[in-house]
Amino acid sequence: MINEFLLDFAHWMEAQQYSQMLVAGYYSYSWLEATHVLTLMVSIGSLFIIDFRMLGLILTDVPASKLADRLHKPMIIGFVIMFITGALLVYAKPVETIQSLWFRMKMILLVLAFINAWVFNARMKAASGSWNTDSVAPKSLRNGAIISLVLWCGVVTLGRYIPYDWVDCGITNNTTILWAAGCVEQLNAL
Amino acid sequence: MLNSLLSQYTRSLILVAVLLLIVILEVLEVRAAIYPGLLPFFEWARSSSWLGLIGTTYGSIYATVEAVHLLSMAVIGGTVLATDLRLLGVVFRDLPSETLTKGTHKVFSAALISAIATGIFCAAGVGDKVYYMEVFWIKMLALVAGSLFVFLVKQPLLNSMPHDEINPWTIRLLAVTSLLIWFTVAATGRWIGFS
Repeated sequence: MINEFLLDFAHWMEAQQYSQMLVAGYYSYSWLEATHVLTLMVSIGSLFIIDFRMLGLILTDVPASKLADRLHKPMIIGFVIMFITGALLVYAKPVETIQSLWFRMKMILLVLAFINAWVFNARMKAASGSWNTDSVAPKSLRNGAIISLVLWCGVVTLGRYIPYDWVDCGITNNTTILWAAGCVEQLNAL
Repeated sequence: MLNSLLSQYTRSLILVAVLLLIVILEVLEVRAAIYPGLLPFFEWARSSSWLGLIGTTYGSIYATVEAVHLLSMAVIGGTVLATDLRLLGVVFRDLPSETLTKGTHKVFSAALISAIATGIFCAAGVGDKVYYMEVFWIKMLALVAGSLFVFLVKQPLLNSMPHDEINPWTIRLLAVTSLLIWFTVAATGRWIGFS
């Protein structure tokens, strides 16, 4: 049901004039992709510095909350650009992307990463005592930092897998993968 | 006296000498003469070396190493942006720039080693392709320039004295040069994928 809906939505997007223009433009898609990837340096670069600080690997003489506070703005700007360019990349190739198993897994990890970021932020604000100037953050924050690192490494890795066709709809006959990737036509044909 | 004056700038002089050597080699067309001789090495890297064989046989390993390369570049970018924007007075204005410069250098170095190691693997997998790409060679030049700049100029200068004793324009020039070089490395790297 959900797969049919997503596929119909993808076909609708693909029929849009601007979607076709993005793919047809000689450089437009490449520029979008380049911006999406290069903004990693701002968003994930800033995020990793915060996570490394919580784990006591970097800038241990700088108060952790101060570092997180100062990097918050560039990090958010980076993520906003990434989401806009990411959304445009999906809009440019909607059917191919929505039927990508890696894209779907990436979206799940993204949601988990944001839930973790929200919990992490709440815990950081609630944490009391002198931990802020300690070289290593309390265990709950360290765990949050490790989860954040793992999830974002997963997001980047799955994003890198998307252009590869190992489990594309036309390649595999595994019904579980076909269902998970939303290959409606291939599933109906089986 | 000349010796005592020059000894303060040993690393900078080495860098200038290296750059001059590159210019001389270019003028004498040494690079153009060496270039064809490199093709067999790139072909060997692609078809006969272990790295090339693993990269071309196992697509998933290649893609995963590519992701590690990207993550390493993200860490390089994060540390470069944090330190250089601090040197320019854009972010972290309430933190001493010495703290930030020293505190991020180890992570930057580790990320650079990781980026180079994974980059060699990635290049080996498509050796016969990247050899013909102008953008690949621009990236290599930018990478060498960036590494020399960081280890021979930027860090030695920033570690040599308190930053408020260094001419502010020198600091700004260092930061802008660093940002431009590392942006070139990242952008040309991305462009290799499109070529």
